[in-house]
This record gives sequence, structure tokens and C-alpha cells, in this order.
Amino acid sequence: MSGWEIFQIWLMAFLTLAIFSFLYRDNPLFKFVEHMYAGLSTGYYLGLYYDTVIKQRLWMPLSEQGEWWLIVPGLLGFLMFARLSTRYSWLARLGLAFVMGTTSGVYLLSELHGNVLGQMVGTMSPQRVQGMVNWWLTAIVVVGLITTLIYFYFSKEHRGVLGGTARVGIWFIMVSFGAHFGYTVMGRVSLLIGRVYFLWNDWIGTMR
Amino acid sequence: MNLWQQLDKLDRRWVFLLVWIAAVIPLIVPATFKISISPEGKSLFEAVDRLPDSSTVILTFDIWPNALAETEPMERAALHHLFRKNMYVITVANIPLGGPSVAERVTRELAAQYGKTYGVDYVNLGYKPGYVSVLRGMGTSIEGIFPTDNSGTPLSELPLMQRVKNYEQVDFIFVVADNATVDYWVSIVNAQFRKPVGAGVTAVMAPKQFAYVGSGQLVGLLGGMKGAAEYEKLVGKSGLATTGMGMQSLVHFLLIALIVVGNVGYIVTRQVARTRERKVKA
Amino acid sequence: MKTTVPLIIAFLAGLAMVLSFFSGPGVPVVRDISAEFLIWSSIIGGFSFLLGVVSITRVNWRKVAARQHGWGYNLVTVISVFVMGLPALIPAGWLPEGMTSLAGRNAGSVYDWLFVNIMTPMSQTMFAILAFYIASAAYRAFRTRSTEATLLLLTASLVMLWRVPMGEALLNTITPALPDFINTYIMNGVNLSVQRGIIIGAALGAATMSLRIILGIERTYMGKG
Repeated sequence: MSGWEIFQIWLMAFLTLAIFSFLYRDNPLFKFVEHMYAGLSTGYYLGLYYDTVIKQRLWMPLSEQGEWWLIVPGLLGFLMFARLSTRYSWLARLGLAFVMGTTSGVYLLSELHGNVLGQMVGTMSPQRVQGMVNWWLTAIVVVGLITTLIYFYFSKEHRGVLGGTARVGIWFIMVSFGAHFGYTVMGRVSLLIGRVYFLWNDWIGTMR
Repeated sequence: MNLWQQLDKLDRRWVFLLVWIAAVIPLIVPATFKISISPEGKSLFEAVDRLPDSSTVILTFDIWPNALAETEPMERAALHHLFRKNMYVITVANIPLGGPSVAERVTRELAAQYGKTYGVDYVNLGYKPGYVSVLRGMGTSIEGIFPTDNSGTPLSELPLMQRVKNYEQVDFIFVVADNATVDYWVSIVNAQFRKPVGAGVTAVMAPKQFAYVGSGQLVGLLGGMKGAAEYEKLVGKSGLATTGMGMQSLVHFLLIALIVVGNVGYIVTRQVARTRERKVKA
Repeated sequence: MKTTVPLIIAFLAGLAMVLSFFSGPGVPVVRDISAEFLIWSSIIGGFSFLLGVVSITRVNWRKVAARQHGWGYNLVTVISVFVMGLPALIPAGWLPEGMTSLAGRNAGSVYDWLFVNIMTPMSQTMFAILAFYIASAAYRAFRTRSTEATLLLLTASLVMLWRVPMGEALLNTITPALPDFINTYIMNGVNLSVQRGIIIGAALGAATMSLRIILGIERTYMGKG
């Protein structure tokens, strides 16, 4: 391993430990790296958007391929900076409205077509386990879906039959959230494993 | 103050120390574990395996750097599988911070192992903002959305991209994501362009994706580091995820022990308080 | 003018997307317009992120200029923005021969080196810290206070065991059918149905909101004034 590589590993280890130091208590070293991280992230976006949007997506097609019509989104994009002025901030709305319009247009149908229909079709078909229809599972899915939707239906007070159904819904929801919690623990622990593995293998490895 | 009350007021830094110890022990005393394969992981592997050799696959790097411990092993295992089957791989990132750089590093490293040539066998499209527009727009023209690859080379100069114009020429989409973009690969690309999508996601996101697997909108699913370990086992290339299973096991056991101790303490303390209350009333 | 023009723009842009969904490849004009609009949207979206960059830098710089409490840390942020961003902005041709690879964003550039060696480990560690806090929360707050809380706690513990090899082995010793039961009935049964309910509910909400934006009923995204 070259000296430069060892330096890189030690640098990474120092930053890792500096952040872990927060576990003991908040301290100036943690604050320093925290602010450095915020700045570097912002700088990363600066480099990335300049390169991928201004240069590749706008300037090159405009200047090299003669796609003059890109002046329109370029102008609308530039007007986003009007947000920094009190007087002309409304000009930023033009670009924003365009993005909101296109995104909403795509969302409107993709949500209904991809999510609502897709999930309803999935519920109306019998559930299968290893290719065999499982009616118990099918019943659980149907009851779970209906009671969950009823629990989240707030336009009518949860009383009587509606209240009873919503109560079953909350049990289903709690089981699902429990599963979610279990998975979340797994995810967070995995991230810790990544760092512990780095410190043990790579960093302490340079000292062996 | 009895023992349970003292435990209830325990400084959290002792808990932190226990977590450290549980995470480090498997490194000092390494052990191998049998990794079971979930039906969702198996069906993703089989869907990729069933694709004819030399198919074209989009592999996404919709990942931030923070969850690399979960996602990078998935990307590596997927690339082993794809390159081994001589698939043409197009990588794309819908996350600005991390995805494009990680794709560059990981893909080039594995491509070198399999003797693959950039531009011919694989291409890194990089990142463009607005994933809804990007996913939808790629259905009409990939070049329209990505005029150049991640390094700034025009797509027209890359042989692979001269052939692949939109989703029509793509056979499978292997999404690796640590955020909601996977939902849009399903609701836009799978639903509107009828392309099969399989996903490897972080553990935090996995429970939601079961709904998509159940409806057939995702052909399979890898959930978190365990899911990555499953794919590593299926492709026969063990990596960080497989190694991490020992640490994962021990920390999970510790957490369950902490929950049990916390609850026993809670029940005992509550019982003591109730008895005292009854005595006062009497 | 300040409100009407943006509303018309949002309506036309949204309409183009909706029409392209229904026309498919059958009407090339609609397809081409919608494809071009998506490119425009991506470009404008990029500018909005750049606005964010300028905004963050400005807020931090103001604190430095005013010598507010902790301004030194804000200075660190501002310096870091330029240390990371500038090498990617400088054209390679401006650098002396032999150092051109340091510019840009490719492997070997300053930008890439900073990302790999500084940002990545920091970012990973920031999130790894959460493992400790989740352990502390599990110990202190995860209590069997009610039926609902008990259901949540039991499922969480079962799933935590099931997802790790040692835990799965333990469940197998109780009964070999238990891991399959968790996968089939908890994850693909109860969990799937609830997640499905949430997906459908959220999708209906998103679709409604989208329609309101296209029709100009929802205007909060424009801010005041």
C-alpha cells in the first residue's frame, strides 16, 4: 500500500471518528466536520448541476447543435434566481410553474395508472405462495387493505361499524409498522457495520 | 432506588458501548453463517437469469453515499451476474449526490474483471435532475434526456447507445435505490412502458415494496444487507453483505435483549407503583 | 400577470403530459412536444438546485459577515462549498499541462477525490450513528403500554430475528415453519395489505393534488405576492 493510500485511509478514519465522537457528547470537532460536510455537499451540487445541466444539457446543444429553442428553458431556469430579489421574486414562478405543471401531468396519470390500478389489480387476484393459491392469505390482504383504508378515512367519525373496522385496521397497521421498525433497525445496523468494517479492516489494517 | 429503576435511568452511552462491543466481536471471532434465500430474492435472481445472454439491462444507482453499506454490495452482485451473462449494462442515477460517482467507480472496477469495454458493453449515463421527467422522457428518447454520458461523451459516439434509443431496446430494469425513485420506476416505467422491473432497496424501504412484489409490478426484491447477502450467495460472490451478517445478527440479539430488559423493568416498576398506590388508598 | 401567466404555463405543461399519456406513440406531435417539455423541465429543475446552492452559501456568508455566534463554523461551510465546487467548474484548459485531469468531475479529479475520501465516509458515518440512537430508543421507549404497542413490539422483534442468520436459526429451533410464516403471513400478508392501503391512499392524494395544480386551484407553490 502506498503512502498516499495510507494517508487517504487515515483521513477517512479521522473523519469517521470525528463524527462518532458525537456519541460521547457534542464537541467542536464534530461541529467542524458537520459544517464541512454541509459545505462540501453544497459544492458537490454546484459542480454537478453546472456540468450536467448548464454545460451538457443547455450550453452544448445550444452552441454546438443549434437547438436555439433551449433558450426558453434556459431563460425560465435563469429566472429562478429572481427568487433572491424581493421585488422580482414573482418571475421565478414562471419556471417553477412549468416544472410543477409537467410533473403534475406525469404524476396525475402515473399515480392512478401505476399505483391505484396496479395495487387494486394485485388485490383482486388471489394471493399465491409458491404458485399455489392461498385463500387465507388472500383474505388477510383484502381485510387488511379495507380496514387500513377505513382507518385513514377521516371524513366520518370512527363510531359503530366504522369504528370497529378502524380498530381492526389499527391492529393491522401496528403489525406492519412493527415489521417496518424491525427492518429499520436492520438498515441502521447495516450502516454501522459498514463503518466498523472499514475501521477494523482498512484503518487498523494499515497498522498491522 | 431498586435495580430496575436504576436500569431505567441508565446513561445511554452505556447502551452505545454495548452496541460497539456487539458490532466488533464478530470481527475478532469471525464465523460463517448459512444464508437463507427469500422467495423475493430468488425470484429477482431467476428473472435476471432467465434473460437471454446479451440482453440489455438498465442498472440504476439511485443511491446516496450514506447507505452504501447496503446498496453497494447489491450493485456489485448484480454487476457480477449481468457481466457474467454478457449483458449490455446501462447505468443511470436519479440521485445527484453519490449515484453517478459510485456508478463510475464500481462499474469500471467490475467491468475490468470481466474484460468489458466502455461504450460497447456498458455505459454510465450519469445523472440528470427531475427523476419524474427523466424516467418518463427516457421512454421517448434516452439521448433527449442524456445528450452525453457521465463523462461528457456524446451518446452518438458510444456504440451501445447508438442501438439503445429508449425503453423499447431495454429488456430489464434492475433498480437499486435507497429512496422513493423505485416507486416511479414501477408507476411510470413498468406501468406505462411494460418493462419488467426488479429492485434492491435499503431495509428501511423494503416493507413497502412487498406491495409491489405482491401485485407483480416488481419481479423480485432484495431488502437491505440481508437481501444483498442473498444475491451475493446466488451469484456465488460473497462480499461485505455476507461478512456483515455476523455483526448484524449479534447487534439484533442485543437490541432484542435491550427491549426485553427495558420491558421487564417497565412492568416491575409499574407493578410496584400500583401496589404502593393501593396501599396508600387502603 | 404575476399569477395568471404562471397558471397558464402550469396548465399547458400539465395538459401536454396528460395528452401524451393517452395519445401514446399514435400522435407524434403530442409525443414530441411532451418529450421536449420533459427536457425543459429537467433543465429548469437543475437551475432550481443551483438556486439552492446560492441560497445556502448566502445564508452562511451573511452569518460570517455579521460575526454571529459560531460564525467560524459558517465560514468552514462557505470555504467547503468553493473547495468542492470550483475544481469542477474550472475548464481543464486553464490548468498547466499534466494537471488537467484534476479539473472536472471524472475519476482523478479533485472533485471526485473529495467526494470519495471525505464526503462518502462522513455521510456514511452520519447515518451509522442512528444505529446507536435506535438501540437507545428500543431500550427506553419501546414499551408494552397497550395492545397496539405490544403488537408493534412483538412483530418488530420477530422480524429482527427473522432477517439475520442467527435469529432465523433460533426461530427454526422453535418450529421450522416460523420463518416461512413470518415471510408469508406477516410480510406478504398483513404488511403488504397495510402498505397497499398507504400506497393507494397516497396515490389518490398525489393525483388529486396534481389535478388541482394543473387546473390552477392549488397555488401555494407560488408563494406569496
